[in-house]
Order: sequence, then structure tokens, then C-alpha cells
Amino acid sequence: MSKTPYAELLSMLSRHRGVVGSFVVSERDGLAVDSNVQIGVHAEAVAALAASLHRKARLACGAAGCGVVTFLRLDAEKGGICAAGRDDLVLVTISEARANIGLLRVEMMRAAKALT
Amino acid sequence: MKFINDSRVRIAVLLESSGRVLAQHGFTRSIDVMSACALAAAIHASAAEIGRQLDGTPFTTLHHPGHERQIFLGELSTGRGAHILLTVFDDATSIGLVRLYFAELSRRLAVATTTPAAPPSFVDFESDLNRNLAKLFGRI
Repeated sequence: MSKTPYAELLSMLSRHRGVVGSFVVSERDGLAVDSNVQIGVHAEAVAALAASLHRKARLACGAAGCGVVTFLRLDAEKGGICAAGRDDLVLVTISEARANIGLLRVEMMRAAKALT
Repeated sequence: MKFINDSRVRIAVLLESSGRVLAQHGFTRSIDVMSACALAAAIHASAAEIGRQLDGTPFTTLHHPGHERQIFLGELSTGRGAHILLTVFDDATSIGLVRLYFAELSRRLAVATTTPAAPPSFVDFESDLNRNLAKLFGRI
């Protein structure tokens, strides 16, 4: 199977300390376009739910007059989910608590600009 | 109801592969339900046959995105045979979410129907047939 144009980008994000999975997801469909995840991560479920979350955040920011969502971060007990979108595509990462979110955010924002 | 609340589909119909309705949500007229079930059963049978011819195994799910509304048709394997779930949804949800909750529903239904249904009794069939014929010709 040939690599998608996002394979290199996802591989780069997944190499970050504490990152257990990264995806490019279609926000409208909630389907993963490409993913790079560790064994045990339920990629389809996370992709669908993260896309839905990003869509709701975009609508909420639009309604509140905040403009376009650039970065979304969800912290949880054992880790978190980050998302950065561009048009219909959303870049999503799942990370453990030990991940360096600041560095990951910079990389994701940069990578999101390359999404087409 | 859990599937409908979670997936946020507008219409959901659970039917047997023959087209017989088992449960529905979203339709207001029974004639619409019957038409939808007949069409869904036919689409499912056609898709399954195309799958058999192309791939050797029947296709079990079908997604058709329209301009505003989309349909998702999926087969649920249960202890009482294959059922079909027809859903209609709009941009309140996505095909990814519908597929996710469909898989969950499929798992729950498989667990809930581990005991196969009792085969139809010929005695019941005959008495039902006689009663329906009597109704039809006005004897009841």
C-alpha cells in the first residue's frame, strides 16, 4: 500500500515523547484520512470523536465571535488530545501526561499549515 | 434509543432482511416506514450480491451522502439472524460517528440475542393464517 502525503508528517509527530497516536481526520466525515498509532489505540473511534469535538469547538468559537479555531487542547487524567485544523482536515494527536505539550503545539501548528 | 441519542441520527429503522419492521424512530407515517423498509431490504440484498460477485463476500454496510442528508445502511448479525439498520442523518453528526455507534450497537445486540429465536410453529402459522383470512373476508 502506498504512503499518503501525510505519512511523513504523522510519523514526525508520533516520534515526540509521550505521543501515542496522530491522525489526519476529515472534520465533515469524522473518518481518518491517515493515522500513525500505537497498538491498543482505537483509531477509528478517536478520529470520529475528535473530529466531532473540533467541529463543535469551531462552531462555538464562531458563535462567540472568537474567529477561527487554531488549536484545541483537551487535558485528561492520564493524558490529552490536541487538534489543529485547516479547512476540512484536522490534525489530531493523543498524548500521555509526560508529553511536552508546548513543543507538540508548535509542531502541530506548523504541520497544520501544510495540510491541504 | 441509546444509538439514536449518541449518534444523533434523524431517522433509524431496524428491520429484518426480508423487510419486516422491528423498530423505528423518526418517521411519522407508517406508509413511509413500509416504503423505506422495502427499499432498504432491496438495496441491502443488491449490495450483498454485488459484494459476493466482486469480492466473494457480501458487502454489509452502505453509505450514500446526499447534499443535505445522508443514509447509512448496515447489517447487524444477531443470534436471531441478520437484521438491517437504516439511518438517515444530516450535518448534526458524521458518518464516522454513525459507524462508531453502529459498531457498538452491533456488539450490544449480538450479546442481547445470544439465544436463537424459536422456529415458527406450523400450528401458529395455520391458526394465524385462518384468522387473517377470516378477517379479510369479513367473518370476524
